[in-house]
Order: sequence, then C-alpha cells, then structure tokens
Amino acid sequence: MYNVKVRGVLIEGNKSYHDITQDVNGPLLSKTTPNWWWMAAFVASSMLIWGVWGFYNTVTVGTGTWGLNNSVSWGWAIINFVWWIGIGHAGTAFSIFLLVLHQKWRTSINRAAEAMTIFAVMAAGMFPLIHMGRVWDGFYAFPYPNTRGPLWTNFNSPLFWDVTAISTYLTASFLFWYVGMMPDFASIRDRTVSKIKKKIYGILSFGWLGSARGWLRFESAALLMGGLTAPLVVSVHSIVAMDFAAGIVPGWHSTIFPPFFVVGAIFSGFAMVLTLMIIVRKVYKYEEYVTRKHLDAIARVLTFVSLIMGVAYVTEIFIAWYSNSPYEMYVFFKSRAIGDYAFEFWAMIVCNAIIPQLFWFKKIRTNITMVFIISIFINIGMWFERFVIVVTSLSKTWLPSTWHNYSPTTTEVAIYVGTLGFFVLGILLFLRFLPMMAASELKGILKETSIVTENTKNHE
Amino acid sequence: MSKQNQILGVFNDPDEVSEAVGKLLQNNIQVKDVYSPFPLEHVWEKLKLKTRIPYATFLYGAFGTAGTFAFLYWTSVINYPLIYGGKPTNSLSFIVLMFVLTILSGVIFTLATYLIREKMWPGREVNMPDSRSTDDKFVIVIEKDKNMDDEAVRKIDELLKKSGAVEVNMSNV
Repeated sequence: MYNVKVRGVLIEGNKSYHDITQDVNGPLLSKTTPNWWWMAAFVASSMLIWGVWGFYNTVTVGTGTWGLNNSVSWGWAIINFVWWIGIGHAGTAFSIFLLVLHQKWRTSINRAAEAMTIFAVMAAGMFPLIHMGRVWDGFYAFPYPNTRGPLWTNFNSPLFWDVTAISTYLTASFLFWYVGMMPDFASIRDRTVSKIKKKIYGILSFGWLGSARGWLRFESAALLMGGLTAPLVVSVHSIVAMDFAAGIVPGWHSTIFPPFFVVGAIFSGFAMVLTLMIIVRKVYKYEEYVTRKHLDAIARVLTFVSLIMGVAYVTEIFIAWYSNSPYEMYVFFKSRAIGDYAFEFWAMIVCNAIIPQLFWFKKIRTNITMVFIISIFINIGMWFERFVIVVTSLSKTWLPSTWHNYSPTTTEVAIYVGTLGFFVLGILLFLRFLPMMAASELKGILKETSIVTENTKNHE
Repeated sequence: MSKQNQILGVFNDPDEVSEAVGKLLQNNIQVKDVYSPFPLEHVWEKLKLKTRIPYATFLYGAFGTAGTFAFLYWTSVINYPLIYGGKPTNSLSFIVLMFVLTILSGVIFTLATYLIREKMWPGREVNMPDSRSTDDKFVIVIEKDKNMDDEAVRKIDELLKKSGAVEVNMSNV
C-alpha cells in the first residue's frame, strides 16, 4: 500500500476528480493556441525543412555527400540512430518498469514519456533507412517471397534482428500508448462543446464506455501488453549493441556491450524525460502534478544509473588492459584517452559519469534549474558516448595504412538537425491535440496517495 | 414512464460505490453495470467479473513462437539453405527473432481480442447512461424489469441514497 505519510502526496493542491479532468483537458479544449507553441513549431519546422534538404541531397546524390570513408564507414547516421533509440527507451521504461515495480509516481509522466518514445524511435528509424543509400530498395530488408531465389534475408544477422526488433518496439509502444489514451479521449468527447472535436475524439475513443466489465478487460489487456513490451526494452538495445559487439573491431568486440547499452539507453531516456517534463510543467503550469518530488525521484534514478555507467567505462578500460591485446590497448589508452578524439572521450566521461554525481547534493537535486542543466549535459554526454564508440574504433584499426579521420559534412548535420526538428514538432503536436497526462490513472491514485488528512499534516 | 427502464445511482466517491454494490447484491437486486472514470477493483470482486484475456494472450504468444520458428526453419533449411560463415542452417540464433516476434504476436492479438470482446471500433456510436462518468461521477446501473412495481423501485432508490448516492435518475439508454 502507498503510504502518504512516508512518501508524501503525489498530486498536490487537494484536487478533486473534476479538477483533474479540467486540468488535463483544458489545453486541448481551448480554442486558442498559445504563442510560444507557434514559435516553437516554427523553429522545429525550419529545422525539419533543413533535414528534408539533407535527405534530398543524400537520396539524389548518394552517401558520398557524407564524410564517410573506407575506414570510418559508420558516421553520424549510426551515432544518431543509437542516440535516438536510447532516448526512445524512456517511455517504456517509465510506463512498464515502474508499473511492475508499483511506483505510483509514474502516472503523471508516463504518457508524455511514451509519446517521446514514439517520436524518438521514428526519428531513429530514419537513419538506417537513409544509410542504405538507395532508400527505394529499403524493402529488401523485409523477408518476402521474391524472384531472386527466393533469397531470404540473413536471419542470423544482428542487422536484420535490429530491423525486426525496432519495428516491433515501435508497433508495441504505439499500441500500448494508444490504448492508454482511449479513456481520456472519451472524457474529452463527453466534455467538449465543439461538434467537430466531439466527432474526432469520439472516433479516437473507439466508443469507450468505462463500464465495470470494460475496465476489467482494459486493465487486463493493458497490463499484458505492457508486460510483454517490457522485455523489448532490454532486447532492442541488446540487439543494437550486438551490431557492434558481433564485429571484431577493437573497442567493439566485447561482451559488456549489451548490458552497457541497455543501461545507457535508460540513462539517456530518463535524462530526456527530465528535460522535457521540466519545460512542460512550467509552460502548462503542471507543478502540482509533476511535483518536485517527481523530479527528485528521477534525479535519484539518474545518480544510480550514472554510477553504473562509470563502472562500465572503467570495466571496458580494465578489460582492454587485461586482454593484453595491443589493438584493444591502443584503442583505449591511445586513440581514446589522448588521441585525436580525446575531447569527445573525456566529454563522455565527465558528462555521464561525473556531472550526474552532483545529484548526491540535496541542494542541487532540488534546484530545478540545475537539474535541467545536468539533464542537458547527460543528453550531450550520451551523444558523445556513441561518437566515441563508432568513430574512435573505426578510424584507427589494425593497419596504420588504413587510418583515416572523420568529420561530418553539412548534409549529415542537416539530417541530424532535421530529426531534432521532427521530434520537437511531434511532441508539440502531442501536447496540443492529445491528453498529455493519463487522467484516468491520475484519478485512480488520487484518493490513495494524495488526500491530506490531519494525521499526515502532523507527521510532516 | 414505460420507456425509462433503467435506474441510475450516481455517486461521488469510489469506496461508497463498491459498498453500495455490495448492499444491492445482498438485497437480491441485480446490478447491470457500474460506470466509472477509473477502474474499481472492489466492484469487480463484488460483481464476480472475470476475464479470460490472459489465457488468450498465452496462446497468441505460443503461436508467435511456433510460427516464427516454422517460418525460419522453412526459409533457412528447406526453401533456400544458404550457408553464412559456416554456421548450421538450423541455427540457435533463431531464438532472438522468435523472442521478438512472440512479443509482437502477443501484443497485437491481445489488443484485437480486447477490442472484439468490447465491440469497440473507431466511430462506434455510444450512449452513455450518464456522461459525467468519464469525469468525476460513478454510476450504478440497475435494470428495471417488468416485475418491478413502484414499491420495489422506491426501495432501490432508498437503498442507493442511504449508501451515499447524490442522485438517483431514470434513464432509457
């Protein structure tokens, strides 16, 4: 049972059920779109348009427009792919891990985190597609009866597992997210006075009733779908890690990669949730729902995960030394620590393993501005981690005659910025048109976790 | 009056609803359904509602595992046995795809089952007994059958109000 006395209230301000309905549906039912929304949408669209130019350039000319070469054949595209996939892990981690662990503080954040997952995974998916060079042959990645044999795809390749795992992850996350919104769509349908909105949200709600039997089936189906999706969080990023670890390149060929990548994904996902929720609670005045205690809880999780990241980095370095392989040792002690990409390597260590340790201090953990800044540092640090893994390993392998440095071209930068624009635009549309907090779940925990009685007050 | 064949007890509090359902059942009054803004587990217990969706999900998952293995075996061993890196064509690494597609099959078919059982589809027209039940009200629906005289209706009304109902309405939905 949740103990208000020990954990504190989850929804502040002694809300009633009706208040929650009003607060969640308010921004959707409002006829005016706020100015900041238009401004943000304009910036995001501009970024997206630049990205479309990058795509166009790549498709019409080819991957020659990128800074890749024979040695560094994976560049920004793979770095950004892994980075986005990592961010895309937050939604499921939030919704499902915390659901299984009975962490009730997830309810005001899970919907937004799931939306983040959907858009981040979509952004991630664009990179392998465009990396093929011939995007129009992308369907070759799927096994279908063809006239070439039929020659099937290589079912033992981590690259094909990736295609399957990510498509599955996107499908399952989307369905879980959508099903969770149906009761809230019904609530909007029954509240709105606009006929068009009533029609649209009525269609989206699939004719939701909210009867006892309906809720029972809903809860059962949602729990099963969530429970089934949970292992995907582990498997998707393990498979992404195997794209690297199954290769023999020094710095990649390591059994630590799958767990290391999964932890890294949860780390960057939680950091992005923090970044996003700090902005959302401010602009939508949701401080009573996403309370300081929520942010504190995420910060604590990040401190712990940051420690795991630190241990993983140290373990990698130790194993490189312990292996006594000159190539492994070269990668870690020369190429990364003091080589051409030393800045990226040390930025990764500082941003991921050291800066988040500041959360040990209560003063920093409870200072929203500091928390926001640190969350940005983690996002950057995780990007550098993927840069270090991809570029330092590939640029200097066994034969010095194949050594080649790498720097991105404008096209690559444009595509990356474009996906950022796509992500932000997606989140903006979500905030404007869909219920951004799970109103029905908030109502479900309200009485148990947020009603302040005389005793609670005395205790505090 | 003859068309209004449902009695609706409207409540403000989730715990009062489940108590009221218990009291109605004790008095041998059939509760047709309870509409609420969020799931009420105590009401399910009292109405003895059960769902078999978990069993169905297990079957869908098993189907996903077996189906994926059958497909991989057929493509890689029977239809076009191509050797990759000297590995056996019937490979242990099939497990990865079997794992992922088991989940996909389970998720998609569970959702489909749920929607079919609830007869839900995009654009389905609904008539809520009381549309406030998606906001902050909890509504107990009691079917008024032909045998019920005014006396019986009055008794139900009294019982509902005593258990904390803020309103008792008649409806024909």
